Amino acid sequence: MPEPRKTPSETPVLEVHDLHVTFRTEGGLVPAVDGIDFAVAPGQTLAIVGESGSGKSVSSAAVMGLLPSNADVKGEVLLDGRELTKLTAEELRKVRGNEVALVFQDALSALNPYYSVGWQVAEAYRLHHDVSKKEANARAVRMLDLVGIPSAAQRARAYPHEFSGGMRQRVVIAMALVNDPKVLIADEPTTALDVTVQAQIIQLLEDVQTEFGTALVLISHDLGVVAEVADDVLVMYAGRAAEQGSVKDIFYRAAHPYSLGLLGAMPRVDVPPKHRLTTIPGSPPSPGSIETGCPFQPRCAYTERVGERCITERPLLTPRPGEGNHEAACHLGRRPEIAQEVARTGIQENAAPEGAPLQQSAAQESAPLEHSAAKAEGPLQPSAEESAL
Amino acid sequence: MPDLVWFVIRRLLATVLVMLALSLAVYLIFYALPADPARLGCGKPCTPDRLEQARHFMQLDQSTMQQYLQFLKGIVAGRTFGEGAAAVQCNAPCFGYSFPLARPVTTLILSRLPITASIAIGAAVLWLIAGVSLGLGAALRRGRLFDRFAVGFALVGVASPSFLVGLLAILVFGFWLNMVPVNGYVPLTDSPVDWAWHLVLPWVVLAALNAASYIRLTRAQMLEELNLDHITTARAKGAGEGRVVLLHGLRGVLVPIVTIFGLDLGGLLGGAILTEKVFSMQGLGELLISSVGQLDVAVVVGVTLFSAFLVILANLVVDVLHGVLDPRVGHA
Amino acid sequence: MSTVEQSTKDAIGQDAEELLRLDGVKKYFGLRGVPFRKAGAVKAVDGVDLVVRRGETVGLVGESGSGKSTLARLATRLLDPTEGRVSISGQDVTTVRGRRLRPVRRKIQMVFQDPQASLNPRQSVGTILTTPFRAQGIRPSRAELIELLHQVGLSEEHLERYPHEFSGGQRQRIGIARALAVRPGLLICDEPVSALDVSVQAQVLNLLADLRDELGLSYVLVAHDLAVVRQVADRLAVMYLGTIVEEGPAAEVYAAPAHPYTRALLSAVPVPDPGAARERIVLTGDVPTPIDPPSGCPFRTRCYKVQDVCATVRPVLEPVAGGEHRAACYFPETASPEISRAPMSERTP
Ligand SMILES: Nc1ncnc2c1ncn2[C@@H]1O[C@H](COP(=O)(O)OP(=O)(O)OP(=O)(O)O)[C@@H](O)[C@H]1O
Ligand SMILES: Nc1ncnc2c1ncn2[C@@H]1O[C@H](COP(=O)(O)OP(=O)(O)O)[C@@H](O)[C@H]1O
Ligand code: SF4
Ligand code: SF4
Ligand SMILES: [Mg+2]
Ligand SMILES: [Mg+2]
Repeated sequence: MPEPRKTPSETPVLEVHDLHVTFRTEGGLVPAVDGIDFAVAPGQTLAIVGESGSGKSVSSAAVMGLLPSNADVKGEVLLDGRELTKLTAEELRKVRGNEVALVFQDALSALNPYYSVGWQVAEAYRLHHDVSKKEANARAVRMLDLVGIPSAAQRARAYPHEFSGGMRQRVVIAMALVNDPKVLIADEPTTALDVTVQAQIIQLLEDVQTEFGTALVLISHDLGVVAEVADDVLVMYAGRAAEQGSVKDIFYRAAHPYSLGLLGAMPRVDVPPKHRLTTIPGSPPSPGSIETGCPFQPRCAYTERVGERCITERPLLTPRPGEGNHEAACHLGRRPEIAQEVARTGIQENAAPEGAPLQQSAAQESAPLEHSAAKAEGPLQPSAEESAL
Repeated sequence: MPDLVWFVIRRLLATVLVMLALSLAVYLIFYALPADPARLGCGKPCTPDRLEQARHFMQLDQSTMQQYLQFLKGIVAGRTFGEGAAAVQCNAPCFGYSFPLARPVTTLILSRLPITASIAIGAAVLWLIAGVSLGLGAALRRGRLFDRFAVGFALVGVASPSFLVGLLAILVFGFWLNMVPVNGYVPLTDSPVDWAWHLVLPWVVLAALNAASYIRLTRAQMLEELNLDHITTARAKGAGEGRVVLLHGLRGVLVPIVTIFGLDLGGLLGGAILTEKVFSMQGLGELLISSVGQLDVAVVVGVTLFSAFLVILANLVVDVLHGVLDPRVGHA
Repeated sequence: MSTVEQSTKDAIGQDAEELLRLDGVKKYFGLRGVPFRKAGAVKAVDGVDLVVRRGETVGLVGESGSGKSTLARLATRLLDPTEGRVSISGQDVTTVRGRRLRPVRRKIQMVFQDPQASLNPRQSVGTILTTPFRAQGIRPSRAELIELLHQVGLSEEHLERYPHEFSGGQRQRIGIARALAVRPGLLICDEPVSALDVSVQAQVLNLLADLRDELGLSYVLVAHDLAVVRQVADRLAVMYLGTIVEEGPAAEVYAAPAHPYTRALLSAVPVPDPGAARERIVLTGDVPTPIDPPSGCPFRTRCYKVQDVCATVRPVLEPVAGGEHRAACYFPETASPEISRAPMSERTP
């Protein structure tokens, strides 16, 4: 069993309230992030999940104030109660890399090819500490050693291209941790890595967190990784929060059709394949293309049961039963007769761990390809009809 | 570093081979021209007899191939034209002998090189500084007034013919405003101040025109570089904007700039023909042009080969620097 | 054991027709020599035997650089092997080239990872689908093309459109349709879903399963994602440094991996269940370079069971616990690993 999670009531170190990010582009305004809230406490891990383009990276860049100049940011970003969006450039510079640090997906492009890795880690330290080059180098070597780079003193002189993918990601993590930040934001830190290396890096992140009590914001599209390391989860869809709650709320008591769809679509390595994967028809919308109603509506199998409201009224996050602050943005929750239907097909709103995300109705399992039947019976449509553009 | 040493040795060997092939080609081309260098040296009246004598003296009566071999031998061992008291000595390395100027080509080149080098190096430093800083500024102020101005300037610079700009500059600054001298060259060793003063106009004109392509290059490369992930990393580490741009951004742009700069400078050192002509400076370019006019084939061949050699050498230097500047480039 | 895995396994007898057979296949890529320096070779595939029978789906897994793609390209004759034999439908095609490859291409087709890069952006879907027919000297009717589109869940109206007008998942469908055009018996899919989002990945995996049932296709599914492979494979082959280190019926290999590498690999895959408690074998270090692989067992530099003998002679694939399940290891694991989860029983209906 994983170590017991800390209680979510602990005071958060990072809080984001009603964050909006809009890009001004030639093609018009792109609302990449459209009102999300999250918080993470020291020693805790918040995972942000969602498919590509859902606004995960933009949210994290917004927290760091790292968005390009064509981005308009609204909302509050509080670090220990301090409003980051109101800081001057110089004040913000002192926060970046010092109190909040970032780890990127692609470590090769995240490192500067022209400088040795030791120099780059030392630079991160010198930017926030008034120390000699020598001291900074010693600190860099210690950090490289800490993240598991063998013969760190020598390897510090090597250049990024001379490292393997996993080792490079360790360097990036060393660079992020060198100032002992309060919050570490990791944007898909293992997506580019093999599973064996991914396991090493996840282990490293967990060790670091235990040792330094860092708050971790982990951005990922891999539900396996999320289940393993997260305490809380935010599921994003088209720039909005579809659902959020504790990791168990999301994996055992998912209340949003999109979360359910993601869980059903994820093949598992630990159990024999019993049935077809459930699928979500179509593909994620581009931001802003759906202006009214629920952004998931065109792909949602439940919308018929809710009716017009899905098209006309934007669903807001409303509390759901669960252990944390479980909330979902779906009109479905307010109509009990449909919740009944939902329960039959896998979501168990009140039950504890026994809710099985992958379970499906017998009807669907027996007739997976007859989509007319599946539509009537099962929540998620099979693949044969996802073709419409 | 042994990789680098091998690399340089291999490239130098290749350079020798290329120079040999090139010299043969140049030799064959210029000696196949209808001009007869002996006619210039035969005096008046040029009787067939004296013409034959001159030919023999200049060793032009041998077959082309033999002459070429003599030329090669001269580079290594020097040459002697004629015999006895009238003999003309051309010490090694002898790249031919100019009978009209009565000097070895090597001496001529060496005497003209400082002038050309003064023009070229001074102008190159100016245009490098101006081009890179304007390009950098344009990239950082993309789309704003400064950017438009720099891009416009670059466009004009690329399109302007250098002699026209040179003459205009002479007219305006030299004659109308009477600010700077318009011609002549004072050796650096005589008076550094006069040296620089006389060179101001050619430097500025050459630099203004060449800076154009550096503005465009720097701007484009910098915009690309600033979009890379490692720049975001630098910002995320807490680096200030100045550090991000100069230490992380410009560092990546260095390689293409150094490449172009090396090649441009190598080319210019072989003779800034139009500039020298316009500002009446007796540089290599001027030597080449006047020799062509006088059908002084030995000088034409010598200067051409020398310029070519500089270009090849510049290439080699650029490649070596490339490996030094970019850790990802090996010299294997 | 699962019903799906069981039934497909029963259907494919040992004596079903062999669509593809690789015997001792090697592919070495020469490194460009430098004067005064010994030139090496990348041993991308270093002695592989593999058989694919009709109706069967073989999953080929392994870490990046283990030689999966190279093996796939050798099987489709896109690359010439340095050594060994490639047979397709019982015919030795190792030395067959040029036009004489045409009949071979009819039997075996390839689907690539990046649907964006593998489709010509200047060709309409119709043109893209016509190309494989042309290569066989056939002019397809419009009806045939439409039929192809229907098969992969697209429709007639898509025929005149261009690749950029499609989403990633739809582009992969077009890639599959193109591969199906000449009615091959075997599709070699190199990472067909790894560029796709989870929800779209499931669509494509289901499509592959449907096509197998409808058309009786066989697949070689190259992937680094072991969960994806478990979903569709009947048989599993695990590659490490250019060799197959374990091979056998998927259900058996997943349930009781015998090779230490397979065990570590499987234990490293995260499971989307926060309650799952699993024993994890975290491998240290990186995959060694394929230019100079370790002597003896290629995995010995990272193996948790390594002994002196492992450095001597490379172990060969030998049956574990009888049957078809084979592993190349001197000390294969025999017990099932502790990958079951405590709350597991609570989940079954
Ligand atoms: N044309 C080539 N020249 C030289 N080396 C090559 C060539 N193609 C592949 N290799 C090398 O052969 C090895 C196997 O490569 P291959 O592409 O088959 O790996 P893979 O298992 O498909 O990996 P991935 O999961 O990253 O796709 C690697 O070390 C690779 O660098
Ligand atoms: N600089 C930008 N200009 C315009 N649109 C952008 C920019 N950066 C990101 N976007 C858009 O914002 C949306 C969210 O992007 P991102 O956060 O990167 O997604 P992901 O969830 O995959 O990390 C995408 O639709 C993307 O195209
Ligand atoms: S609000 Fe309607 S369309 Fe949106 S997820 Fe809920 S049921 Fe589906
Ligand atoms: S042969 Fe030895 S080193 Fe190789 S996998 Fe088996 S135990 Fe490990
Ligand atoms: Mg992203
Ligand atoms: Mg591959």
